[in-house]
Amino acid sequence: MEEFHNGSEVSPDTNSPFSPVTCIENVVGGGDYSQSQVNKWTANIVERCLTQLVKQGKPYKYIVTCAVMQKTGAGLHTANSCYWDTAMDGSCTVRWENRTMYCVVSVFAVATA
Amino acid sequence: MLLHVFPVTYFEFACRLRFPESVVRRLCRLASFNGAFFIQQAGFVVEDVSTIIKESVEATIGGNAYQHNRVNQWTTSIVEQCLSQLSKLGKPFKYILTCVIMQKNGAGMQTASTCFWDNSTDGSCTVRWENKSVYCIVSVFGLAI
Repeated sequence: MEEFHNGSEVSPDTNSPFSPVTCIENVVGGGDYSQSQVNKWTANIVERCLTQLVKQGKPYKYIVTCAVMQKTGAGLHTANSCYWDTAMDGSCTVRWENRTMYCVVSVFAVATA
Repeated sequence: MLLHVFPVTYFEFACRLRFPESVVRRLCRLASFNGAFFIQQAGFVVEDVSTIIKESVEATIGGNAYQHNRVNQWTTSIVEQCLSQLSKLGKPFKYILTCVIMQKNGAGMQTASTCFWDNSTDGSCTVRWENKSVYCIVSVFGLAI
């Protein structure tokens, strides 16, 4: 992101496609839900996703959200609604789980040009 | 009346004196009420958005207990109501709303968000609400066009 602030050119990196699942697995791994770690996990997941997206070098603003919930049988429901240009803007939501937790990552991309 | 004839000057005058935001906004509304040049406060105003969200959640969930067969309706209703109120503000923004409703049963939950945008024009507002059996977290992201 510092590269953008300096105004120097970043060539679009289309060789490594954006993969939220890889980001999640690299951060959480096979671990169980841990209250002391979950704060760090969510922050790392959103940061890694954003870094990967920005490397793509496309003219978009991005919003990345991540929710991690412990599996205890509680009900969870999420909804998104967007007021934007449907031709240019888009979103992607990925649900991941392991034995002890659910993880939902959403990425919203809004065109700037 | 001075306000009617020179609304822009009045607004600039208030800003230069560093009046609190609430006073400046009242002056703007006065200007529009008098039919004078309408001065719209630019930028993402967190207070206004937060009020819209709280009213919408109260009106939709209120004192109801978590019900699996109704929660789908609730999330949809909350985001739709908020979005229509936000678009009525008439500001040049694109909006993204997310709503999470969780049953209270002792489960832990953590959420995070990060944004790559223009800090000077874009903004967000997150409201956490709860009643006896439900947690509700609504986030609004506003991106200037």
